[in-house]
Amino acid sequence: MADSPEQIRKKTKSYLAVGAVLFLGTILTVLVATQEWLDFGGHGFDFHDCIIGLCIATVKASLVAAIFMHLNHEKKAIYWIFFGSFVFVFFLAWLISLAHGSPIFDQFFYR
Amino acid sequence: MEIPFVVTPRKDTGLTNSKIAIWLFLASEVMLFGGFFSAYVYLRVGASDPAGGYPWPERALPILPGLINTFVLIASSVTVVFAWAALKLREWRKFQCFMGFTVLCACVFMVLKGLEYNVKFHHQALRMSDGAVVEGHLAAELKEGVDPHGEAKADDYVLDHKGNKIEENKIYVEAAGLTFNTTRYYQDWVKEFLTEAKHHDAKITLASDLKLSPKPGAPAETVVPADTELSLEVLAKIKNLHLAARANNAAVRTAALKKAWVAAHAAYPGKRDWEISDKVSIDPKELEGKMMEEAASVAFKIDPPAKLSFGPRDVKQGETSSALRDGTVVEGKLLESPMVFHYVDAVDFRYTAQKAVQKGLDPMVEIEKSWVLAHNPEIRAAWEWHKAEIKKLEEHLKAKGQEPTFTERYRVEWKDFVAKAEGKPRADREKVIQFKEQFLGPDYDERAKVHAFPSHLEVPREQIAFASKFTPAWNPFYAIYFTITGLHGLHVIGGALVLGYYLFRGKKMYDTNPEWLANRVEVGGLFWHFVDLVWIFLFPLLYLM
Repeated sequence: MADSPEQIRKKTKSYLAVGAVLFLGTILTVLVATQEWLDFGGHGFDFHDCIIGLCIATVKASLVAAIFMHLNHEKKAIYWIFFGSFVFVFFLAWLISLAHGSPIFDQFFYR
Repeated sequence: MEIPFVVTPRKDTGLTNSKIAIWLFLASEVMLFGGFFSAYVYLRVGASDPAGGYPWPERALPILPGLINTFVLIASSVTVVFAWAALKLREWRKFQCFMGFTVLCACVFMVLKGLEYNVKFHHQALRMSDGAVVEGHLAAELKEGVDPHGEAKADDYVLDHKGNKIEENKIYVEAAGLTFNTTRYYQDWVKEFLTEAKHHDAKITLASDLKLSPKPGAPAETVVPADTELSLEVLAKIKNLHLAARANNAAVRTAALKKAWVAAHAAYPGKRDWEISDKVSIDPKELEGKMMEEAASVAFKIDPPAKLSFGPRDVKQGETSSALRDGTVVEGKLLESPMVFHYVDAVDFRYTAQKAVQKGLDPMVEIEKSWVLAHNPEIRAAWEWHKAEIKKLEEHLKAKGQEPTFTERYRVEWKDFVAKAEGKPRADREKVIQFKEQFLGPDYDERAKVHAFPSHLEVPREQIAFASKFTPAWNPFYAIYFTITGLHGLHVIGGALVLGYYLFRGKKMYDTNPEWLANRVEVGGLFWHFVDLVWIFLFPLLYLM
């Protein structure tokens, strides 16, 4: 954690740089989604656009977490608490995915 | 009481208690939003199922307000961390400036979100029986003889008994009688009936004498005579009498049943309950002279029959009698109750096309059969224009080995209507969008000058499969959109309140223990960054994909 005045002053520059990257990342996402000359894959929204959009969003979110939320130099306990929660999220999502193969949700099963 | 470890870290964790607490809270938030993001993914994947899916509304939200809100949240994330740095450097004025800007950003975010919600809540959608979807704005009911295509003056509108304009989406019944469910009737609707009847110079009176027995076994006597006028007091009296009779009858039946069980056990000693349950029955003699007359429903007549109006969600209409949600039955002829659009700003045939493809039919042939194309020449003309434009787009994309999207093929939206009216090709349509319209939806008055939108579409009730404003009820996309963005908006408000508290009430703490305030701002800031982090994913998912 940057605690001395000098360290904090130094950090503020990186905060500004991250802010600028976040702005540019947002503009890039919109351009990829709306501009034909930046359209990857097929015409209109498709799987490629989805992947690119989510990758940019992930990079932006990582920057916010690492720099603004100081996760790039935190204590171990914080990593366990925060990243541990993602395990539960993915476990819940996986549990729901099991229901997808269940016949009670299959509208054609009883026809 | 002194709160420990707010400035100095604990030795075991190396962290202040407040920091551990906020990270535990953020972990729970990850799980909360993670659940909703999972729901979004499954809804979307389910929508693209070729067998049972439906057209997911891609890019249904205006991008510009979402983009501005993203910029606003990013800017606020930068300033909140600067506010924390200013406190660490003991620069109170700078802290005030940065934190003030952060709170201002939160307010701008919520105002834009409010505008976005407001546009949705006033925009009408209708799915027809043939699958075609019509979007637009409903008309207010005009007096007889007033031209629906002309410019209506204030006194050209029919007003309800409260003096408000009536949106032309009501179910009208020439009501001759009302039968109330005596325990479930909705008091506000009873008041509405009374006011509407008064408005039409009609009286609502009890159809026949209500006879009930005053005590068990006693002969029935008139408790409310025929022709008694309807009032909440009368209904309450009948309800109380009915409930008293029901309670008595339940007690009598329970006692008789207990007796029957005792007799059954005596007749079949050693048997378990489930083995003798079919041998247990109430002896009718046990009930003789003990039961009381119940009044589960009570009928009133309306004289002369009055035209009553109902919200389409409140009534299940029938030709001669209709049922309300509270169990009230309205006797009377169903009058013409069309849904009338003042302006139509989008026609969507994606559902019709998808169903046709699933059945192995030609989607264009099925679309041509649709009611809306057969009954509205303006929409028909727009569809013909759209087909020609799609042909041009097909040729343009052919060179790249691509083709128009499903949405482009089968949806004519308001920007297309405007492009057609202004004589512009579809490719130039984005240029016709005004900045203001990105936030507030189409400017109908401005667009009416070039006759952009088909006006006055009357849809008969039997053609309506489902209708709703653009609310969570309309489709799963709007359900998840309002759920996630609403929850996120509550977080923005909560965060702004906490940060605003540090800004306006933090001076005292700054003067006595500035490090403690800095730690508090860091914790509040962590929450604020999390709010930004969620929006970073929400923006592309909801607005761009």
